[in-house]
Amino acid sequence: MPDKEKKQGTSISRRSFLKGVGTGTVAATVAPSVLIGGEKAADAQEGDAVASATIQLNINGKPYQVEVEARTTLLTVLRDGIDTSGNNVDLTGAKLICDRGECGGCTVMVDGSLVYACMMLAMDAQDKQITTVEGLADGDDLHPVQEAFIQHDALMCGFCTPGFVVSSAALLSENTKPTLEEIKVGLSGNTCRCGTYPFIFDAVKAASKKM
Amino acid sequence: MEKFSYVNATSLEQVTALLSDSGWGEVMLIAGGTDLLAELKEYVETPKTLINLKTLPGMDAIEADASGLKIGALATVADIARHPTIQQHYTVLAQAAGSVATPQIRNVGTLGGNLCQRPRCWYYRDENTHCLKKGGDICYAVDGLSKYHAILGGDPVYIVHPSDLAPALIALGASLKIVGPEGEKTMSLEEFFTLPAANPFRENVLEPNEIVVEVQVPPAKPNSKSFYLKAREKGAPDFALASVAAVFEMDGKTCKSASVVLGGVAPAPWRSKEAEAALTGKMVDDTVSKQAGADAVKDAQPLNDNAYKVTLTQNLISRAAMMATS
Amino acid sequence: MASWGEASESRLIGKRIPRLSGRDKVTGKAKYTFDINRPGMLYGRILRSEIAHANVVGVDLSEAEALPGVKAVIQIVEVGNKIRYQGQEIAAVAAETDDIAKDAIRLIHVDLEELPHVVTEADAMAEDAPQIRDDWAGNQSNPNVREEGDLEGGFAQAAVEVEATYHAPVQTHVCLETHGNVAEWEDEQNLTVWASTQGVFGVRNDLAGSFNLPANQVRVITEHMGGGFGSKFGPGVEGRRVAELARITGRPVKLMLTRKAEHLVAGNRPSMTQHVRAGATGDGRLIAYDMKGHGTGGISSGAGFQAPYVYDVPNLRTERVNVAVNVGNQRAMRAPGHPQGAFAMDSLMDELAEKLGMNPLEFRRINDPSEVRQAQYTLGAQEIGWHRRNSVPGAGTGVKKRGMGVGSGQWGGGGGRGTQARVTINSDGTVEAVTGTQDIGTGIRTAIAIIVAEEFGLAPTDIMVTVGDSGPGLPSGGSGGSQTTASVAPVIKTAAAAAKQKLFERIAPQLNAPVGDLRVGNRTIYVVSDRTKTIKWELATGQLGMDSISEGGEWDEELRQGGVAGTQFAEVEVDTEIGEVRVIKIVAVQDCGLAINRLTTESQINGGVIMGLGQALLEERLMDALTGRMLNANLEDYKVPGTFEIPEIKSIVFDTHRKVTGIGEPPCIPTPGAIANAVYNAIGVRVRELPITPDKILTALAEKKA
Repeated sequence: MPDKEKKQGTSISRRSFLKGVGTGTVAATVAPSVLIGGEKAADAQEGDAVASATIQLNINGKPYQVEVEARTTLLTVLRDGIDTSGNNVDLTGAKLICDRGECGGCTVMVDGSLVYACMMLAMDAQDKQITTVEGLADGDDLHPVQEAFIQHDALMCGFCTPGFVVSSAALLSENTKPTLEEIKVGLSGNTCRCGTYPFIFDAVKAASKKM
Repeated sequence: MEKFSYVNATSLEQVTALLSDSGWGEVMLIAGGTDLLAELKEYVETPKTLINLKTLPGMDAIEADASGLKIGALATVADIARHPTIQQHYTVLAQAAGSVATPQIRNVGTLGGNLCQRPRCWYYRDENTHCLKKGGDICYAVDGLSKYHAILGGDPVYIVHPSDLAPALIALGASLKIVGPEGEKTMSLEEFFTLPAANPFRENVLEPNEIVVEVQVPPAKPNSKSFYLKAREKGAPDFALASVAAVFEMDGKTCKSASVVLGGVAPAPWRSKEAEAALTGKMVDDTVSKQAGADAVKDAQPLNDNAYKVTLTQNLISRAAMMATS
Repeated sequence: MASWGEASESRLIGKRIPRLSGRDKVTGKAKYTFDINRPGMLYGRILRSEIAHANVVGVDLSEAEALPGVKAVIQIVEVGNKIRYQGQEIAAVAAETDDIAKDAIRLIHVDLEELPHVVTEADAMAEDAPQIRDDWAGNQSNPNVREEGDLEGGFAQAAVEVEATYHAPVQTHVCLETHGNVAEWEDEQNLTVWASTQGVFGVRNDLAGSFNLPANQVRVITEHMGGGFGSKFGPGVEGRRVAELARITGRPVKLMLTRKAEHLVAGNRPSMTQHVRAGATGDGRLIAYDMKGHGTGGISSGAGFQAPYVYDVPNLRTERVNVAVNVGNQRAMRAPGHPQGAFAMDSLMDELAEKLGMNPLEFRRINDPSEVRQAQYTLGAQEIGWHRRNSVPGAGTGVKKRGMGVGSGQWGGGGGRGTQARVTINSDGTVEAVTGTQDIGTGIRTAIAIIVAEEFGLAPTDIMVTVGDSGPGLPSGGSGGSQTTASVAPVIKTAAAAAKQKLFERIAPQLNAPVGDLRVGNRTIYVVSDRTKTIKWELATGQLGMDSISEGGEWDEELRQGGVAGTQFAEVEVDTEIGEVRVIKIVAVQDCGLAINRLTTESQINGGVIMGLGQALLEERLMDALTGRMLNANLEDYKVPGTFEIPEIKSIVFDTHRKVTGIGEPPCIPTPGAIANAVYNAIGVRVRELPITPDKILTALAEKKA
């Protein structure tokens, strides 16, 4: 296999590749071959179409090897993924709430930048540093945002909380002393239904004093 | 989402070769994916293959110099919003980019994707509603719920174009570089977009085997002032109920030239020649600015639920004009 | 007589205590039902009808069954039955992955014979409307009529009259964790279900009945729960079916609703339309009230609303009907019937006050029988700066105009019998408190720890609280009606007191003092008559050896009280060119009884205000008459408040007595009315339909101009 592929941590599973997208009963409506551009399937190269692959993801500083389909989202891997050794990835902090990039429940950082994991394909997350809410604390030492969220009761049911915590941490990493308006902008991609916003704003302000 | 296979793009030649002959929908391009994946999740699109453009080198560059701006199609909305030269000299563009959706969307959404995104219409986005835009017989907005639909240029499909960047870029006189199997071509961004009367199924003239690669913006004129005003129901991530991108060349309170482009009110970004004419060469005051607003919407044909957009658009235009005087 | 003691004696109760679940929630460790991953677990999905009204002619599961990875497919609707709303369940699958389950439901072929539907109230009430319920002529229930006093006599005394129509559309709960369950059978007779529910025992009993099992062979666990707001009682169709799928496959199955299904079938707040004619005397007494109204709770009934509300009216007639539409059914939603009723009533009050030429606050003072609210009016008016209010609505010449309004609410929340609890003191000094309630985000887990810790001289973090598990067999009611804290707190308090008494009995001889002289201090027990006699908590409990103390508790009427009054003041700014309403500030003065935890109580008030703000300005379920489908079953076009909508909120915990009361619901009640009145005060045009969106503001302003 070409070096480049190894560097990407990708090893295309030949079995799944040959099987292609034509599994099961969808076959009737799906092109029988994943080949585009006249290449042969046996040795998939950069630029070949893949329907599934074994990829490596770096999450919270730890490598995970998982087999994914092209359509598998990063969020699906985090929450439901099973690695090639059969262990659950089980990083369920990021939540599936709207599933359309509208609510922020699945917010994670990819190379330090906030993204909706429900709207990112897992294959696109290769070679990147993924940070989820589980990766913010340093052992037992919570991130200042996490500590402030607890002290200020910036959470009620808590289902949106991981997303808000990640967004708040990202905001403070770029702007250590945000104004209230800047906090509102920074967290505008996250939604809470219990109505914790006022205490979230307080918590971010409090955390900013410790940054 | 249905299953699909995924190709990392290696060159524009490879991309256009993969696209050729496939027609619409079989092979699709993905960059940020914030619009496309939503369509896939709703089964509105069921492509067999996605070509990942993010692996194309260098296409996310933003170059600013005396000859103007060049923005690669893969530049993210966030990159555009925070670019110092754009903030300083192309304010309308920075404001438009900053108004897009949410931080998470702006971080991955690209310029090319923003220009080529599909309508948000709730009939169009429903897999089970076979509307005119998808080859059906009727535009459901005509007799249905039309609060967010078009008041200008709708017939026969009353979607609105959702892009914030497009009105801003058109107001700045931007052009677009497109690559196809025959090579590259450049066209004005304004001409890129089309109305449903010309083609009810697409919002622009891009061919199925072409790809948008770059936007070019001429140098900002001295003494120009520009604004992007966007009305929404909810602060984020709402699309515009109506928006106005305006660039004015001012001499004191006199408007030497005006470029006024509307978003959220028509199936394409809507250049208001009427508003521009009403302002050009005039000393802008309350009366003139109001007249510009009124002229812009004089041909508006609202549906059952969106007459408010006529007033709203009118007021946004006059507000933008008044802002240019201060 | 049992009591919570004086505030001065409380070390913990009434203070601001961070919630115990905080650390798990901010680190992502908290496992909600949606997060449960069991070994070998399958994923369930439900195929739902996209047609609102149809006869089921055929269902073919074979293609789905043949898809690799699919482990079970079950039919839910029977051929010959009717589909009565979009989202109604047709079939369910269990598969190895969620993506396969999604693929599989698309391979189920359903043959539906479409019937004419009505999905809007206007269509349902039209003369030629298709009849969609055999038992309701014209798709309307029999009118519910209430008459008091002498209506015409009342109107005869009226100096002013107002006649107006107020409307609030259907709102949906938007629980961020959708409804759903994970079901796992240990064997054919023992079922464990992780449920996203407001009532673990209700779900247990329902499932035990459905599967014909003794109740104690079903265990329901809800450690954390992502929002319910009244919609999450009972397992629902999805809960019973996931248990069936788990039984068929012999594997655990997770089935959570999609966001779309959550909007369609998981409940909603019914709509309200009321046409009111009301009159007031020249000296400001509300004297006559005549209301004819309707609402829809979907294909079912339940579209009640409060009318009149809060204020005294001696002479009245009200008539209301339920309207049936081909849409998913209503469920209780945070203070059912109240916020929409309050919106109409408070709007009406302001309209009458204006005709009287009276300050709306004065008009309320005359007609509000609640002494608590009378005091709240004074406090709230000071806090918002009511004197700054436009004396002439719509005064001012600027583009952005400010205004103020007031609204009121009333709720019960006194709790009830039926909770069992156990407090255990172990010899190592650890303390456990167990009861079958559930923490739905209100903070009952922490409240329990506070009560026990107060009793024992410990810190809340010292108490291991177990809730949300039917396993220990200590039932408690569902968390609804703002009843949880008032139902649970007395039982926990008496259990802790009984356990403390037992410990004192064991320790008294050693301290050489009568049991009655023992008291708890900070992690110590001491003798009140001789403070030199003390023993550290761990040393005292160390005497217990294997014989830990474990005591149950009892319901105690004296420790709780129902009936809470609330008042809110809103200040808004309206952009008259764009139609945007920005709420500047809300002052919420909320009667809370004894707040066990002032911090989480304030959170509840903030949360109620924000949900009320959403109802006032953003939220509306949109039904398409032509297709019969909901157009905004997502979080893009169904808009709930985000960061930009949040005003300054001054939540005032209004102390009235030292008995426990629930306040989960009441703070959402006054908000829409207060905001609507503030909008009127700002622009001088009244919007009588919620939500108050830019289109309505601009239309109203244009009509005023014309």
